[in-house]
Amino acid sequence: MIKEILAFIPIALVFMAFKSTLFSVIPLPDIPLLMVFYLAFRRPSVEGAAFAFVLGYMDDVLCGGIIGSTSFAYIVVFMLVHLAGQRLHFTTAFTRSGGAAIAVVLKGALVYAVVSSAGMHVRIFVDVLMQAILTGICAHKAIVLMSRLSARVVTSSFKGDIS
Amino acid sequence: MRISERKLSLFLKRHHLILVSFLLALYSLHLALTYQKDVPRGYIVRQTLSAIVTPLERLILGTSSTVTGAWSHYVFLIGLNDENAELKKQVESLRSENDRLKEDVALNLRLRELFNYREAVPWHSTAAGIVAYDGGLWARTVTINKGASDGMVKDLAVISPEGVMGRVIEPGASTSTVLLAIDVRSDIDVFVERTRIKGVAEGNGADGLALKYIMLDDDVRVGDRILTSGITGIFPKGLVVGEISKIEKSKDNFFKTIEVRPAMRLSTLEEVSVVTDTGFYSRD
Repeated sequence: MIKEILAFIPIALVFMAFKSTLFSVIPLPDIPLLMVFYLAFRRPSVEGAAFAFVLGYMDDVLCGGIIGSTSFAYIVVFMLVHLAGQRLHFTTAFTRSGGAAIAVVLKGALVYAVVSSAGMHVRIFVDVLMQAILTGICAHKAIVLMSRLSARVVTSSFKGDIS
Repeated sequence: MRISERKLSLFLKRHHLILVSFLLALYSLHLALTYQKDVPRGYIVRQTLSAIVTPLERLILGTSSTVTGAWSHYVFLIGLNDENAELKKQVESLRSENDRLKEDVALNLRLRELFNYREAVPWHSTAAGIVAYDGGLWARTVTINKGASDGMVKDLAVISPEGVMGRVIEPGASTSTVLLAIDVRSDIDVFVERTRIKGVAEGNGADGLALKYIMLDDDVRVGDRILTSGITGIFPKGLVVGEISKIEKSKDNFFKTIEVRPAMRLSTLEEVSVVTDTGFYSRD
């Protein structure tokens, strides 16, 4: 599990670097949220929860958000997806896209609630919807790629243990 | 182990993920809600992340600016040299055409002025263009593009809307030499417009005129206009020769030494009018 997370971290860092530079005004699919989503329904663990917190923290630090707001949202999303995953199986493209889009909206609502509670006035609704659509569109493909990456990491780890 | 402890242990094992997540969520919420309260925290994490990501961001921005630069400075500029050369040619051509048109407009204005002048005066004249200047040490002549074939003869008056210019002294076949009023060989019978006092305007060979034979007690002032008297019959009466610019008492204590600024401006003159009528004798 740790190796999977370590494999995801550089991707998340690169994504955030792009997000905070070239694509700061262009909506992008929420790749870190898709990672949280994937870990929550596929491999729910304490490490996954900690990773969700770290991802959120990194997002807030690198993209200028209120520290703790995105990590709070990611953690809540992680919990809810984990709970939902006990009843739902996110195996089809439709459920993954729908689930990811709802997760983005939920994240947006949570961040909005936290930021509003912190005494700031923000308007994020349009951006959140746009990002939800984009994330929903990319969700299935991204989850397939993450599965392959996880499989590769786990397989190489297994081979390493044998040798 | 007691039953309650066992239950608690079982509960923690079963829901440890939710509990950990809940605690992390609470901590996150704490971080977010105390964000503006000047609580120094997360400095090390922030600096570490910054140290990791900043080079990455620089790399992305550097690559982006390199690609943008390559596009704008190379790919986009392919063929621009040819276009630039073509545009330069066009600019030169348009500039040349513009100069020519300006010249045409100026010529048109001058000719219109000359035409209006010719229409206004009661004698016949023909327009001529100045084709050469002779500004020797003392000689002041010009060559005009009208000669004997155009009816030019010796001693025809050459004038401009500004006033007297000179007279034809050597009519050639197709061009003629005009002796300017400022030439030392030129003398024109004139009178002072304000007081009607008569005199002779002679060229001083230095782009000016001298008004001669004005007595010491004659009433002339600086600024008085000097006009042709029409006595010699070459120039019609009343043409402006110039304006008195300086008056001095001569050494002989008999006449005044008077300088006259000529009415014509040779430096800007390009077209003139040659009076083809002759015999302008004053009736005064």
